[in-house]
Amino acid sequence: MSASLIQCPACQAWLLDGVFNQPQLSPCPACGVPLQVEVFPALFRRINPGQSGEPIMIEGESSCFYHPQKKAVLPCQGCGRFLCALCDCELNGQHFCPACLETGKTKGKIKSLENQRTLYDSIALSLAVYPLLIFYFTLVTAPVALFIAIRYWNAPRSIVRRTKIRYVAAIVLASAQVAGWALLIVFLATRHRT
Amino acid sequence: MPEKEYQRLTRARSRSAFGVAFMSRSSLWLGRDHLLCVDSNGYTETYKRFYFRDIQAVILMATKRRAIWNWVLGAPTAIFLMLLLGTLSSSSDSRMAGIIAYTICGSVFAVPLLVNNIFGPSCICHLRTAVQTEELPSLDRLRRARQVLNRIRPFMVAAQGELSPGEIPARMRAAITSPDSATVAPTVSTSPPPDTDRPDAPPILS
Repeated sequence: MSASLIQCPACQAWLLDGVFNQPQLSPCPACGVPLQVEVFPALFRRINPGQSGEPIMIEGESSCFYHPQKKAVLPCQGCGRFLCALCDCELNGQHFCPACLETGKTKGKIKSLENQRTLYDSIALSLAVYPLLIFYFTLVTAPVALFIAIRYWNAPRSIVRRTKIRYVAAIVLASAQVAGWALLIVFLATRHRT
Repeated sequence: MPEKEYQRLTRARSRSAFGVAFMSRSSLWLGRDHLLCVDSNGYTETYKRFYFRDIQAVILMATKRRAIWNWVLGAPTAIFLMLLLGTLSSSSDSRMAGIIAYTICGSVFAVPLLVNNIFGPSCICHLRTAVQTEELPSLDRLRRARQVLNRIRPFMVAAQGELSPGEIPARMRAAITSPDSATVAPTVSTSPPPDTDRPDAPPILS
């Protein structure tokens, strides 16, 4: 069956007519579940087959860095190496070689390839807040929260959240807890001495 | 002031029925040329980008979740309401205590019941691209899903153009009848790894 067809999410029947781009819900012809299906031209777009590199016909023609027998078509925008059509990986209008693409993904240099981030600000804040329920834990967790907040102050935060308010709150809370423990220890020491 | 890279489309919603327990929440954001689905467990975030030029379809399916929750929350609300009415009509000494207790207990169920109905009919939203069909858990209400759809439609039209309603069935039929227009699904190769000495072999990354 064609990849241009859409299945009902409930009964998996192929939807052919009557439910597409309607302003209201329409029942699935097979199972009657109310559906609203909005389709876009990309559904009918053909996927072009991948290109293979052209062999070098004339001597002195620039060749691909990875395939010396293939003709270079453009340079990599990451490292500047010449690439053949096979090695050219297009990403949002930019052209990279597979090595730069891999490096960009692993090191987070290409933002649009980044698919996970650790929220150190949330970890620090949790370590500063939750152990307050059992106060004795803060003797350990407050310094850890303080360390994480300072150590990862400049680490990338959430893509969609921008402020450092969690770090600030974690530092304030953890500092207060550390200061509280210090005061308690000093108080107990002086009391014991007297 | 610089323009924000992402604009919020939906607030974070539980990814599954057990999402509350596992703190798995999903939200949807509007980027310059894509939709960003953010799945968060509180300490890590996972991002899925759906570029406007790649989105093939958005499918909304109405569900009975709101009706089910109406029954689950409505029954205890009705019971406490009846108990409250019974207490109001009585003249015992503990009348005031009963009124307060039943009002508080009834509110615990009545407020979520009210919220459930304010949000409107429930739905499941699927977004389809050439390589996947992804559920968007944050679009769990029909009204919100339609608002988001209306918000992203201009971006979709700018990226892909528009289909007239009469054009779709014709294209669908053409897709069935013409094998040329059908997109061949990628197949998994069972052949041994390619020979690296071949001149057209793709580079191997270390």
